[in-house]
Amino acid sequence: MSSRFPTKGRIIFHVDMNSFYASVEAAYNPDLKGKPLAIAGNPEVRKGIIVTSSYEARAKGVKTTMPLWQAKDLCPELIVMRPNFDRYREASKNMFEMLAEVTPYIQPVSIDEGYMDITECADLGTPFEIAENIQKRIKNELDLPCSIGIAPNKFLAKMASDMKKPMGITVLRKRELATKLWPLPIDEMYGVGGKTAEKLRNINIETIGDLAKYDVYHLKSILGINGERLQNRANGYDPRPVDPDAVSLFKSIGNSQTLPYDTTDEREITKLLRSLSEKVAERMKRKTVVSENIQVMIRYHDRKTITRSHQLHDYVEFSEDIFNIASELFFSNWNGKAIRLLGVTAQQLTEKEEMTKQLDLFTYENEAKNENLYKVVDDLSEKYGKDVFKKSVTHEGNHSVSTSFQKDFLDDFKRD
Amino acid sequence: MKFNVQRNQLMESVQDVMKAISSKTAIPILSGMKIDVTEEGVKLTGSDSDISIESFVPAEEEGIVYVENIEPGSIVLQAKYFPEIVRKLPEQTVEIESDEQFNVTIRSGSAEFNLNGQDAQEYPQLPKLHTENSFELSVDLLKDLIRQTVFAVSTSETRPILTGVNMSIKDQKLQFVATDSHRLAGRSIPLEDSANKELFSNIVIPGKSLNELNKILDDTQEKIEISVTENQILFRTKHLNFLSRLLDGNYPETSRLIPEQSKTNVMIDSKELLHSIDRASLLAKESRNNVVKLTTKENTSIEISSNSPEVGKVFEEVTADTIEGEELKISFSAKYMMDALKAINSEKVNISFTGAMRPFIIKPAEHEDEILQLILPVRTY
Repeated sequence: MSSRFPTKGRIIFHVDMNSFYASVEAAYNPDLKGKPLAIAGNPEVRKGIIVTSSYEARAKGVKTTMPLWQAKDLCPELIVMRPNFDRYREASKNMFEMLAEVTPYIQPVSIDEGYMDITECADLGTPFEIAENIQKRIKNELDLPCSIGIAPNKFLAKMASDMKKPMGITVLRKRELATKLWPLPIDEMYGVGGKTAEKLRNINIETIGDLAKYDVYHLKSILGINGERLQNRANGYDPRPVDPDAVSLFKSIGNSQTLPYDTTDEREITKLLRSLSEKVAERMKRKTVVSENIQVMIRYHDRKTITRSHQLHDYVEFSEDIFNIASELFFSNWNGKAIRLLGVTAQQLTEKEEMTKQLDLFTYENEAKNENLYKVVDDLSEKYGKDVFKKSVTHEGNHSVSTSFQKDFLDDFKRD
Repeated sequence: MKFNVQRNQLMESVQDVMKAISSKTAIPILSGMKIDVTEEGVKLTGSDSDISIESFVPAEEEGIVYVENIEPGSIVLQAKYFPEIVRKLPEQTVEIESDEQFNVTIRSGSAEFNLNGQDAQEYPQLPKLHTENSFELSVDLLKDLIRQTVFAVSTSETRPILTGVNMSIKDQKLQFVATDSHRLAGRSIPLEDSANKELFSNIVIPGKSLNELNKILDDTQEKIEISVTENQILFRTKHLNFLSRLLDGNYPETSRLIPEQSKTNVMIDSKELLHSIDRASLLAKESRNNVVKLTTKENTSIEISSNSPEVGKVFEEVTADTIEGEELKISFSAKYMMDALKAINSEKVNISFTGAMRPFIIKPAEHEDEILQLILPVRTY
């Protein structure tokens, strides 16, 4: 069996859930199957954009980030639903747990995709068989479709998983680059965004193959170090390992929201800052972290965007504190013009468990007066384990809906 | 201006006054070094307007001639080049001469440097201090006072007054206190003739000034005279004048913040504790305040530990001479503790704790009224 299992190099899978939110909804309610379905931010107001859509909707031209009204124009029978993040989180957790049964070397990159390194899994079958088993299992047990790319590194695996959707399994070998990868238009290359693609087309790079053969110095002069990196990838070289811990290296927790209409109404703004602060605090609570730096983002009606942050001398974790800092930051930096979007981000996060506070000679009495309380908590923790005090905190916030696409929920499946 | 000087004596003086000269000064001429020559000898001056240093090479002392062929005069030289030139001159004797156009010639052996100087008239006058409010101290004692306190000054400008050392005279005692609000270091000495010294009972000297002064002064029994005015302090030895501005503002009243009672008292070998904390701090992270934990154990044992989840753990038991009072578990900065133990420099120390969230005090087992090191603990969650 392992005679077909490659012995040189690594074998990386990229598992990509197909139209994940829509698929999860269809799994919950089979009546939706086979129908054009879209998940949108908020169907009533203008910020309602398509977050994801089923393949039936895509066939009519519905695309992610398209405004709702435009999607409805293209596909009048479109079924629109608001996101149920708790469902997606649950499904994502189940999916990653299945992957984790194959190998511990999995690296979730978002709620619906992740890498696996199955180099050490020869005893489970050929790579293709392993991929087939994973795909079948996710389909049978979760009723969710996925595509899997198999390749010697992350970049090629990612490209491969994109080649056949839905429910595809694609092997991309290095010797197949010229026929399978190079003919693809440059903007289909992972890592090439709109601006980069434009720059590349300006120098007559139309396909990934063009990029692979282009003069590296010229490329660097246009794209900097990233130019070389992209060219290496186009040539099938990508040294990044699958890092199971990468997901926990989150740096910040932030939420932002577009206002229903451009506004200068301070009450409206304050209300939004408060609700954003609550969401951030909620997510911080879920991750049991505290922050030492709060940032606000202001986007004006003309799309001009500024961010301002405040370095704290103490930790914050509660929404009230975050709100106070955020609104002070906002009102000392707002130029008074109409605002389209606001964001609040907690930066410099520390695990609560790792938190320390150097007491101050002039203020230590604040802490000292609670010393007996801390001591009781400490003693009980020692006796019954730290969870005694943490569980009640971590569980209560599960009902709230957050419209963030951050990766913090990916920790959930790992923590359990 | 013209004179011949012994290179070693000149070099020493140059090095001293260089401590006050900064290349980044608001007044351009202060990036230079002033040389004044009189029949008595050569005086070098350097200043950054916060600190001013004058160092004197006498023409003759105890029968040894250091400066000769004197034609009095003054000049200001570029401090960027002068010290290196003096250091590298080939012979023991150096001849320095300036003309009316402020061109300076430095000769030694067959080497000759021509430097552009500046008019000494342009150099700001240093304030003359009345020396009525003065007292004397031996140099090595002053160095002890500085060394045992100055490390605890604040490096942050959020409370500028804490970047200085508080000097006060009270009850026939001279006291130095420094705190960055996380730890406090105090040292006091009896002052023999302090009859009329109440005039400057409470001043704050910039920590930076004391650090520089400590570098310049050699460990000797010689006397140093300290004079204070409203906003300046002058330290004067035979050949050195060290003038520093004082910090404006009131130093916080710290004595009432120092706990008078204690709940747990530990007497322990200073070196053993220091080394154990040094080892434990290997795994303590700076971002977490370098925190180590001290736990009292059975008998006279204490445990020093540190834990960095992503690195590892360390535990070590150290035997104390005595432990009295309540059990205790306390976390604190390893750095602060090591700084304090090094400053005390005594074989045994007494540590008095009043609880895990309150400052604790470290004193030498002997002469315990003279040195006080106080550390605020770190709260862990």
